[in-house]
Amino acid sequence: MPLAMVCDTHYYSGMRPDEDLIAGHLQELRRGTVVLACLTRLRTPDYGYSLLESLDVLDIQVDGNTLYPLLRRLEKQGLLTSEWNTAESRPRKFYRTSPAGDDLAATLTADWDRLTTSLHRLAEGEVP
Amino acid sequence: MTTLTDRYVWAAVRTVPEPQRSDLEPEIRELIEETVQARRVSGEEPVAAERAALVQLGDPERLAADYADRPLTLIGPRYYLEWLRLLKTLLAVVVPIVTVVVFLAQFLSRGDPGAAIGSAVATALGVTVHLGFWTTLVFVLLERAGTADTGIQWSPEGLPALPDHSRHARLPEFVASLVFLAALAAAIVWQHVSSVVRGPDGRAIALLDPALWAFWLPWFLVLLLAEAAFAAWVYLRDWSWAAAAMNLVLNLAFAVPAVLLWSGGRLLNPDFVAAVGWDPAVATGGGWTVASIVTGAVVLVAAWDVVDGFLRARRASLPATRQPVLMGH
Repeated sequence: MPLAMVCDTHYYSGMRPDEDLIAGHLQELRRGTVVLACLTRLRTPDYGYSLLESLDVLDIQVDGNTLYPLLRRLEKQGLLTSEWNTAESRPRKFYRTSPAGDDLAATLTADWDRLTTSLHRLAEGEVP
Repeated sequence: MTTLTDRYVWAAVRTVPEPQRSDLEPEIRELIEETVQARRVSGEEPVAAERAALVQLGDPERLAADYADRPLTLIGPRYYLEWLRLLKTLLAVVVPIVTVVVFLAQFLSRGDPGAAIGSAVATALGVTVHLGFWTTLVFVLLERAGTADTGIQWSPEGLPALPDHSRHARLPEFVASLVFLAALAAAIVWQHVSSVVRGPDGRAIALLDPALWAFWLPWFLVLLLAEAAFAAWVYLRDWSWAAAAMNLVLNLAFAVPAVLLWSGGRLLNPDFVAAVGWDPAVATGGGWTVASIVTGAVVLVAAWDVVDGFLRARRASLPATRQPVLMGH
């Protein structure tokens, strides 16, 4: 297929945007929600992979190679605290939401709710 | 865990500074082991599970960069525009100045225009590469240093002026044309009266064949006069299809006789060729004669000038509504 045609289907197929396009927009929309999900979920201490699986069950998908560096970053920002658990066969780093993280989670949740309400009002055709 | 995991961990941690490695290694190991375990629970063989887990985690250097919050671009969006603007400005200002200065210095000290052009071009290339490299290096370091501000702020005052289609905007080009045409006419006269090459008797040897004064050299001088008049017309009335056609006629009137005379060997003064000991018809290293290169250059320049004339005429004839930013001008 000539390159021009590939580009055409990518940008101008008109009726239905292709899957890459949808995936890109979904990723854009979900960016940031993983942080909120982690801060909320880690009010109960847990280690990375278990957190990943519990988010997966709730259909919040995130890759390990994204989640692990993210947890470390949140820890550096003082939003999480951590502790190595060496009692079991494999050492695991357990994270817990710090008071600052808790505050941020509350702020983010409030904003998320506000946005949801606004979007619903828009969808219902309420024009300000 | 096997050497494959060890090698993956090493590949990741070696890209971060030594003190952070002992901190990072257990985290990456945990990530790998948990990923492998998840795959084994779903029934994969240990070796296959390990390999698949590493593939899933991807390039270890990317993972380490994620951990260390290091940019994976040479110059990211934060600095890209400032880098581009500074580079353009430096190239536009420094390269022409250096080129002209080197040319003049070489030409005045050695008197050989060919060698002077050679060193000017070499210097221009060198300066371009240096400017590009050092400017980019500074911004790459800025990108990695993080918070530093370049001090280059965008401001509305720096916005470019709207394209000016008034006569005033065409003045620089008009003046440049007149200067160029006058210089060419002066050169044609000068090479006859007082050439750079002198014979044994101290008399000047003209570059162009003096026999051409019978018709062709006056023809070219008149043509230069016509070109000047044409430049004035374009200055006063802007480009149009008629102007582009006229430009075509003038170019043909100049290029066709020039190329025919040149390729027929009738343009240069035989005495001049003998005195300098250089014949453009003799092939150079690449099998091209200087004569054919000059012919090609003349044809190309004339062809481009004609095409450029028609492009400008087309632009000038476009309806203003297709360029809303230009309305009111």
